Parts: sequence; C-alpha cells; structure tokens
Amino acid sequence: MTNFIDFLLGGFSNGAVIALMALALVMVWRSTRMVNFAQVGQAMFTTYIALTIQQSTGNWLLALAVAMGAGLILGTIVFFLVIRPVKNSDTTGAIIATFGVLIALQAGAGMIWGGDPEGFLPPVSNAGLEFAGRIWPISLYDILVLAVTAALVIGLTLLFTRTSLGLSMRAAAFNPEVARLSGVRVNRMLITGWAIAGATGAVGGVLIAPVSTISPNSFDILLVFAFTAAVIGGLDSLIGAVTFGIGTGLVISLVSGYTDASNAPVVALVLLALNLLLKPDGVFSHHGSRSV
Amino acid sequence: MLETVDLCVSYGAVKALNGMSLVVPRGEVTAVIGANGAGKSTLMRTLAGLVTLQSGQVLFDGVSVAGKKPEDIVRNGMALVPEGRSTIPELTIEENLRLGGLWRSKTDRGASKDLVFDLFPILGQRASMRADTLSGGERQQLAIGRALMSDPRCLLLDEPSLGLAPLIVTQILELVSRLATETNLAVLLVEQNAVTALRVATTGVVLNLGEVVKSGPAAEIASDEELRHAYLGY
Repeated sequence: MTNFIDFLLGGFSNGAVIALMALALVMVWRSTRMVNFAQVGQAMFTTYIALTIQQSTGNWLLALAVAMGAGLILGTIVFFLVIRPVKNSDTTGAIIATFGVLIALQAGAGMIWGGDPEGFLPPVSNAGLEFAGRIWPISLYDILVLAVTAALVIGLTLLFTRTSLGLSMRAAAFNPEVARLSGVRVNRMLITGWAIAGATGAVGGVLIAPVSTISPNSFDILLVFAFTAAVIGGLDSLIGAVTFGIGTGLVISLVSGYTDASNAPVVALVLLALNLLLKPDGVFSHHGSRSV
Repeated sequence: MLETVDLCVSYGAVKALNGMSLVVPRGEVTAVIGANGAGKSTLMRTLAGLVTLQSGQVLFDGVSVAGKKPEDIVRNGMALVPEGRSTIPELTIEENLRLGGLWRSKTDRGASKDLVFDLFPILGQRASMRADTLSGGERQQLAIGRALMSDPRCLLLDEPSLGLAPLIVTQILELVSRLATETNLAVLLVEQNAVTALRVATTGVVLNLGEVVKSGPAAEIASDEELRHAYLGY
C-alpha cells in the first residue's frame, strides 16, 4: 500500500507536463482540426533556448519567460510553414508536413546545440521531501511544476472564458462560418491558437527538462503520452486534456513502479487503442451535444 | 440602401445567379421569394461575402462591397442571419450575442444588447444558459439578436421560417418588420414560404433560376394567381 501511494504521488508532476503537452495538441486541434506532431519538437527547441538563457544568466524565471515568448513565435512560424502552402489541399498534407517540421527542428537543434544529452538545473531542490519521519517521492521542484501548471491552466481558462479574444477563439473553433459572419477574423484566431499552443508546450518542455535531460530527441516519448491523453480527452476538450494528462502520468508511474519503465509507452498505446474501440469520440468530446 | 446590379454567380457549370438586379431600401422589408434552387441562398451568401461573385456589382450605401471578406462586410453594417442553425450551441446565449459585436465599444454593445433584450425578452431571461437549451423559435430569435448586435444598417434573413411553426414565424417576422420601420433598417428577407414573407414585406421579388421574374408591391405579388402557379408552386 505504501508503494502504491508513493508511485501515485510520484506521477503527478510528470502528469502535469503531459497535460501541458496535451493542451497544446488540443489547442491546435481546435483551431485547425489537425494534430501537430511537431509540437514536442517545438518544445524541445524552446527548451534549448531556455537552457542557453539559464546557463548564461542563471535566472530560471527569465529562461521560462523567454521560452514562452519563443514558443509563441515558433508556433506562428510553424503555422505559416505548414498551413499556408497546403491550405487548399486536405489536412493530411499538413499533418505530414508537421512531421517534416519535427525532423527539421531536431536536426537544427542537433546542429546548434549538439546531440549529447544536457542537464537542466532545477531552480529549487529536486530531492524528495522529508515529512513525518520518512522521505516522500515528491520534491520541492515537483510542487513548483504543479504550481506553474495550475497557474497556466487557470490563466488559459480565464483567457478562454472571460476575454473577447477567448470568445472569438472558441467561436472560430466551434463554427468558423458563424464566427466570420459575426465579424471575427477567424484566420487570426487560428494563428493565435497555434501560437498559444507553442507557448504552452514551451512551458511543458522547461518544466520536464530538469527531471529528464535534454537532447534533440528527448521529448519524443512525451508525444506518445500527450497524444494518448489528448485523444482520450476528446481532442477538443481542454478539461479532457488536463484530466487525462495527469491521469496518464499516474498510470505511467504505477506501471513503471510495479513493472518496468519501458512498459509505460506500451500501456499508453493500449489505453489509446481501447479508447478508440470503446469511445472513439473521447470522454469529454462535444460531439454528443453538437448533433442536437 | 443595398443595391445589386447584374449579379452573376456560378458553381462550376451551374449558373446560380444570372444577372440579378435588386434594390433594398431602408426602413422596410424586401422579400425575395422563389422555389428551391431559385438562387435565394446564393444571393444571401454572395451579399455576405461567403461566395465569390463572377460579375456584377453590390453597392451598399453607394459603395461597392463586392469581393470583401465576410468579417469586413458585417463590420461595415450588413449582417446575415444564415439559414438553419446559425447560433453556436456550445456558447451561452449571452456569449452568442456578445460575439455579434466584439469589435464595438462596450457602451455601443450595451445599447444593442438592451435593444435585443427588449425585442426578444426570453433571451434576457435565459442569458447565462447554453444556446442548445433553447427551442427552435428561440434560437432563431438568438440568431437575429446576434446579427443585431453588430448594429447593422442592413439585415439579411435567409429562410428564417425553416423548421418553425407558422405562428412563431409570423411573430418573429412582424417584430423584424416593426424594427425596420422604427430604426430605418433595410431588411432583405429570403423565403420559400411566400405567404408569410409577402405579408410583412413592402416589396416582393420573385426569383426563378437565378433571374428576377417579377418585382413590385408585396400585396400585388401575393394576389397574382399566375405568378403563384408558375413559380411558387401553390
């Protein structure tokens, strides 16, 4: 039983990062109805930028802020690279183009920063906290990860529900034609969606870097977990992405704890397959209400 | 005032509008009637900027608006209530309305909202509920309300009677007609349901295969037996 609780607690901060990546995938899906497989590549690239800032200034907050800014810009650039040239064809072309962007980003990062894994210093201690006479599998840094994730999720929720920009973005996602007829510049909203997704992924990258290492391919596995969480959540649900992102983190932690870490991706894919068989629309999907 | 001159629109080899000219004056309802496939919806979608016209002119208060984007056309004062489900069910009633005039100042929006709630009190009573909790007639009111939130000088209504009980249609259209007179609004109403449309309209226009067959005072069109048999099918 102690094991179970330890494994569960150990999964939360990892789950938070998966939730952020899943959120990024969902935001792109909501704007352009496609999966951006370059999302983790973008996060990897902006994390390298953060690493450079961290190494030269030692300021973690500054590194995080620069990564977010770079994520916004990179998200916009990828939108124009991928969506514009293939605008008149179907989205399949654009999805394949995102793989191209992923490979280009990984190659580019390898050329700039080298292919060797590098460490990213955490701003606070990464050692398990001692409390009530024992060491728990949760560190001060894990708490920081959860706090930053919670702040970002709350911020995004407020943006979407309380602001005019958020309302325009939701309208553009739900019904582009009615949105345009209401005066919303839908194309701009799509770009904004990709940009915010880029910034969200960037935060996820900076948060996960200190507990793994960073190399051009180090976030690839994160894509598997984030994609699973996003699909199970229904692909267009922000709540779904967060819930199942954290859920996936917990499942990974349990599987890794009881068996072996190398089994985690397999379990994720099994969950994904089961979800597609049993509830293909996802758990938090809007499709049910749309058919009314 | 809205005016189209020699409007031509094609879908591939099919001519949906074939040299259509029409005038929609302010302060009254102009009804365009015709059977299925006469080009009514194409006309509306072209005016709103959703469909590209091939040739001809669209003049709005004397300025050409042909080829402009839908979002610019609505910001310029011409709002379309498209056919069918033109509200966003996932948003609340208040959000659907707010969406209609986001680019305007808060005070201007507030004034338009008061007008809409005055016109359709049910929307005010249920403002915080999701739009999919509304009945068909209420949702049509919401769609018109959303269009009114842009403070239009011209309102385009595409087949508002679709799927609604006749009594509700009459109620909604009478409200719109009163609004046109009171606020000097130009209303272009497109309908398959000719009887109801001609009852609230000042001018009637009969459309067939993309061309204007006849236009004149609505009462005159309504009583023209021959026209009715030939083009309206009743």
